[in-house]
Amino acid sequence: MANNQQAEGQRGARWRKSARGRKSARARRRTISFYLFIAPWLLGFVLLSVVPLCIGFFTSLTNYDGFDPADSKFVGLDNYTRAFSDDRMFLSLSRTLLWAAINTPLWLVVTFCMALVLNQKGIKGRGFLRTLYYVPSIVPIVGVVWIWKIILDNNFGLLNAIISIFRPGTAIPFMSQYALQSLSVIALWTGLGSGMVIFLAGLQDIPEELIEAAQIDGANALQLFRHVTLPIMTPIIFFQLVLGLISAFQQLVLPMLLAPGQEAGGWNPPRGSYLYMIHAYRQLFIYQRYGYSTALLWLLFIVIMALTLMVFRTARYWVFYEVEIEGGGQP
Amino acid sequence: MNGKTLSRRDFLRMSALTAAGTALTACARPTPEATEAPAVEEPATEAPAAEAPAPAEAANVVMMHQRNELSEDEEAQFEADYPGVTIELIEGDDNAFLARIAAGSPVDLRRTQAPAVPQFLNRELTYDLTPYFETSDVLKIDDLAPANAYYMANSPTAIGEGNIYGMCKDWSPDFTLWAFTDAFEEAGVDLPDDTTVLTYAEVADLAEKLTVFEGERIARWGYAYADGWIDRIWMSLLDEVGQSLYAEDYSSIKLTSNDDLKAMAQYFFDLASNNFVANPLNPSTSWIGDDFARGLVGVIQYGYWFGGMAESDVTAGKVVMLPAPTWSGKRLDRTITATGMFMVSKTEVPDAAWQVFEWYNGKEPAEARAASGWGVPALKSMYDLMPNETEFEQQKRRVLQDEIDLETPPMQFNPYIGAEVVAQTWNLYLEQALSGDMTLDELLATVEEEVNVAIQEGLERTE
Repeated sequence: MANNQQAEGQRGARWRKSARGRKSARARRRTISFYLFIAPWLLGFVLLSVVPLCIGFFTSLTNYDGFDPADSKFVGLDNYTRAFSDDRMFLSLSRTLLWAAINTPLWLVVTFCMALVLNQKGIKGRGFLRTLYYVPSIVPIVGVVWIWKIILDNNFGLLNAIISIFRPGTAIPFMSQYALQSLSVIALWTGLGSGMVIFLAGLQDIPEELIEAAQIDGANALQLFRHVTLPIMTPIIFFQLVLGLISAFQQLVLPMLLAPGQEAGGWNPPRGSYLYMIHAYRQLFIYQRYGYSTALLWLLFIVIMALTLMVFRTARYWVFYEVEIEGGGQP
Repeated sequence: MNGKTLSRRDFLRMSALTAAGTALTACARPTPEATEAPAVEEPATEAPAAEAPAPAEAANVVMMHQRNELSEDEEAQFEADYPGVTIELIEGDDNAFLARIAAGSPVDLRRTQAPAVPQFLNRELTYDLTPYFETSDVLKIDDLAPANAYYMANSPTAIGEGNIYGMCKDWSPDFTLWAFTDAFEEAGVDLPDDTTVLTYAEVADLAEKLTVFEGERIARWGYAYADGWIDRIWMSLLDEVGQSLYAEDYSSIKLTSNDDLKAMAQYFFDLASNNFVANPLNPSTSWIGDDFARGLVGVIQYGYWFGGMAESDVTAGKVVMLPAPTWSGKRLDRTITATGMFMVSKTEVPDAAWQVFEWYNGKEPAEARAASGWGVPALKSMYDLMPNETEFEQQKRRVLQDEIDLETPPMQFNPYIGAEVVAQTWNLYLEQALSGDMTLDELLATVEEEVNVAIQEGLERTE
């Protein structure tokens, strides 16, 4: 009996060992498959992002000017310290912070509200309206800017012409003194579609039974929104907030194209829309300060990273996840 | 694998980090090869052996240019006429041009303008074409129009004569005026005779009279000039009074210590502050040439080339070319652009590149450009090809000839800074000065300080 038990025990041990071996081989195969599948992306990421980032960082430690790299010198952290005595850098950073503070919440609120409206089942032509609101997002940016220049021009713009019907001779300086506000409107218009689509996808993912249960419990529309829709949408809002914040800090093309005086290569954004990326761009392409410009971009990266981490830190207080997540988060 | 799955939070975190990181990659220095650019085989200051160039062997010539200045048909014609030599046209700016050099794949021919030439010479990016010119039957040195002097130099700070490093594709005396006659009629102002040379003070007077205000709105600007070239304008006006924008060795710019320059800056500042010209507080959404063609400008200051587009549906038959005004009474009218082409010192196919260069500047494309009326030909022998049929064309030619006869020598641009540094810095701070946040003196001091920093950086790199 004892011998039988011992033999069975040995067989069991062999079987378990063999099973572990099979599991281990399967795990290895899965690991290899995993890395093979992600290899194209990983290679692209390393070669097109990591390597240029490293080269960019190295450049920020030199006085390279775009000509012969042999003429450049290693200057240590000089480019970084220089930034802190650059008044224009501080101006551009403050304008960018203001821009992000205005534009990001505005974009989030408007696109979320639009998604809520276009998610209602009773709306006629809902598909058409969704397409219509997405159109600005697929118009080439140069075309967008020209449309808005025609509307906002100080002297010959459509908006001032309409206002002039009631108050002749009006020339509100949308393109100069109110450049940042104008920029916000244009950015909102172009970003409507992309923001709305993400929110719509999130809204359509809300389980019907939750809504029905709330309705059976007597929740009205406002309560339904406050206690069901909004909590479930918070991960999406969080995602949009992070991306919106990052893209606000990276804004370059819109203020650049909207800047007046583009003849003779002389575009100059007004102070109102002199954003951080504009300053970095000018340092690189006008003053040929490749080293300083890349240092400015690394500093921007640090600012974005810090703000993003701050947003992440706040997430535990307001982002609702459907499942318990290891290390924090609400149930 | 530990079996832990990627949570949604992890995914969001990774996405955010990746997006933030990617922002920096766009402005990274080009490719690792950037630090391993091949050695310069033909430094700009060392001419190839002065003997007749050998016929080009089969080669592909990479040309960084604008497609609207070399059609695909012309390109095909060249390749049919010159078997074995092909043209690869790439559109790009100076930054793309430098990036290709840093990456070890330089182009062979590059479009440029006069203000950039000294810096390219200084950085040894230009190929000495003198031996080619000396033996060419197409591009003869005696036949070169005076504007080509911008591409001749004994050193980066001695432009005007010496070795030949390129040539312009066409040019114009750039200080001439173009008047929109309707603006004069509507303002009740007499149109100046096209043989009368105005002073800049008279131009300012015209600007005031021709500007139309309707309430806060400006319905027409009296005057327009290329504010993106403000430093070139100052340089030319200073030349009239025997002054220079820069120190003798080009190691600094002189804005605050030069009373003549201050008066010129005040002149352009006053035009802007009175809204007689488009300015940062009251900008044009387009460019001034387009504004003129739409009838929104009374007088515009551009070269002969502008005659090719001055007449639109609005302005047709209502445009008159006027001579360049003068600041002090001394007549000068020079080109400040001289758009042209040079061969890159690192080219590995100089003979084939020369064939393209010679053909583009001396054969069919050059003849077509001359006949188009969009500029004065770079070869004197082609002057007669300029259009001279209609009354407007004849009037333009009359005024143009007087300006060409002035034989104004080229200007020396600063070899230590980029071509746009001065004007861009001025225009950047002009808004603050116009808003009353700084005085004109403070504006000049700020521009001087910033430009001098840029000059010092350029000097340090080439020492």
